[in-house]
Amino acid sequence: MILPMSRVRIMGPRQRLDQVLAALQDLGLLHLSAPEAPTPLEPVQLTPTQARAREHLRAALADTDQALNALGAGTGPPTAAPVATATADLARWARLAWQVRRATERLAVRVAVLEDERALILKYQQFFSAFRAMLETESRWPSATAYHVLLKRGDAATIPALRGSLASVIGDEFQLYSHPLPSGETAVLVVVSAHAADQVERLLADARVQEIPVPKAFGGGSLTEAIPRMLARLGEIPTDLQKVEQERAALARDHGPALRRARLALHDWLQALDVVPLSIATARAFVIEGWLPTRTRGDLETGLRQKCGDEVVVTEVAREDWQSDQAPVVLSNPRLLRPFEALIGLMPLPRYGSIDPTPFVAVFFPAFFGLMVGDIGYGVILAGLGLLLHAKSRPGSTWRNVAEIIGPCALFSILAGFLYGELFGDLGTRWLGLRPLLFSREEAVVPFLLLSLALGVVHILLGMVLGVVSARRHPRQAMGRGIAALMVVLVILALLAAVDVLPRRFFSPAVIGLLVAFPLLIIAEGLVAMIELLTTLGNILSYARIMALGVASVMLAVVANRMVGALGSVLVGTVFALLFHLVNFSIAMFSPTIHALRLHYVEFFGKFYSPGGLRYQPLGHWTRVPEPARATPRTTRHVA
Amino acid sequence: MSPTAVNALAAALAVAIPALATAWAQSRIGPAIAASMAEKPELSTVAVLMIAIPETMVILGFVVAMVILVRTG
Repeated sequence: MILPMSRVRIMGPRQRLDQVLAALQDLGLLHLSAPEAPTPLEPVQLTPTQARAREHLRAALADTDQALNALGAGTGPPTAAPVATATADLARWARLAWQVRRATERLAVRVAVLEDERALILKYQQFFSAFRAMLETESRWPSATAYHVLLKRGDAATIPALRGSLASVIGDEFQLYSHPLPSGETAVLVVVSAHAADQVERLLADARVQEIPVPKAFGGGSLTEAIPRMLARLGEIPTDLQKVEQERAALARDHGPALRRARLALHDWLQALDVVPLSIATARAFVIEGWLPTRTRGDLETGLRQKCGDEVVVTEVAREDWQSDQAPVVLSNPRLLRPFEALIGLMPLPRYGSIDPTPFVAVFFPAFFGLMVGDIGYGVILAGLGLLLHAKSRPGSTWRNVAEIIGPCALFSILAGFLYGELFGDLGTRWLGLRPLLFSREEAVVPFLLLSLALGVVHILLGMVLGVVSARRHPRQAMGRGIAALMVVLVILALLAAVDVLPRRFFSPAVIGLLVAFPLLIIAEGLVAMIELLTTLGNILSYARIMALGVASVMLAVVANRMVGALGSVLVGTVFALLFHLVNFSIAMFSPTIHALRLHYVEFFGKFYSPGGLRYQPLGHWTRVPEPARATPRTTRHVA
Repeated sequence: MSPTAVNALAAALAVAIPALATAWAQSRIGPAIAASMAEKPELSTVAVLMIAIPETMVILGFVVAMVILVRTG
């Protein structure tokens, strides 16, 4: 459910503003919002000192983030509480962050230089290997000049043209050798008479063929002389890289904890300054407004009284004075349903006052998933993976959420497996005599299709009913949605009666009902309602994917089992069967998840979901170091 | 051509043609959504939906094929 929220107004003497903001940050309850500022109240401006401090804090924070990112030390142990801050601390941290950032940048440059050097030497090494015998006689060519050229992948076809150009310029006073390299490039060695060197250099430049001269650092000139030095250097580079890594690790060890503490406190401090302009004040008094869950209002009043005394007053803004769209949203569900809030979190939050779909998702998502997977064996393996993930993940982490969603999905897969009588496809039937409690998906395709569509009808109708409930404050819209839901029911009744699933006598009343409801629907919702009705029927057909994926899954499992006898050798067949089951299991985890999500997000939510809710972000302290890349106020805060 | 062969061909076409259409649609959507996600990682949900939407074609094609095969024995 979406927690009921209260908008509160806090008033007090102007000189108490900083104290109240600090108290609010300690309490971590109030989501501040800028109040309207009728004369003589005006938004509080930061003093020049505060504004300067904010700029410095931002710069220091950016340096800290960069340094922690470069050191890979962003996720350290949580800090129990924010450290106290003083101006001296700020200066110290800013200096430290700047120094460490610069040091990490220098290390990054050194790594880049070493990697470039290694890549260059490897190129020469390949070149040398290609023409080793020839280059070793290079020193005995007093009147010849050698050019080393590397052609990019795919450019080897230009060699005949190069040879032709050389011949036209210097006749037969050259030798050209080419050799394909493992990298896909082509090594080309051109040996020409010394007096023709200038012409050849011009030709190579005109043809935009890049020569790779031997670097001066390795002696220049002859490649034969340079190569031993290059190879020796190649052996030193890993050691140099290791040294850089050691220096980086030392930086992380020496300064990582301090930087993490600094980051925590800098965030706290910056946040306290950022909220100052959200207050309004006269020369003598201030006003702060904000939101909090109604049930915590008493905590706020008590906390403020204890920290700031009776001069600070908290009053609730009347419900008539604010709109639902302004209120932030807090989802609150029972422990078992809470992991599924993560699936809602993938969408924009629902608006305040609308419906939280978490309980419905918690029931239907695992059910759809289970009906698609529908195999005891796969369900048990999935449960095992879920337990493993649960054991390895931290409470409150995304992986823990995933593990807790896997649990019900695995349970439903096992239950559906019993309904279909499937254990690794038809293995349970063949080995253990397992019989389906409902039907076999291999054979009863049409009943499975009807079951899927029936689930679609239930799910879509539930969505439409929720749509009526969420539009309760708009009677015309609610009536239109209600009539649309009724028409869907009547269409289904008429269809079932037409195909003799229901008694024929239902057909005429259903059609008459449709004829009566149709004009009412047009009056309530306009012509577009007709299209929406057809879309809704299409939405129901979309649930046929439960059957399609389910049948595909069991067929693949059966094919995997058949491999044991089909490939001659039992051992080879078993290995292939296991591999095929592994592939099928992977598909069975991925596809049903995507399609169960799609059935919710597109078909179900489309009937009632109102996205666009504002996330509840109370002013508070950071209690653990967030990832530098996600350094936004969305991360965990201390909420009293 | 025997009726069985015609039925089998009809079922095969019912899957094959939507499968090609799905593949074509996904080949267009995939790069576009990958490029979008590179700039806005928060579009991952949209990516899931966009990839799953054209699959409806082949899924319904599969359903039709199964119904053809079941109805015609």
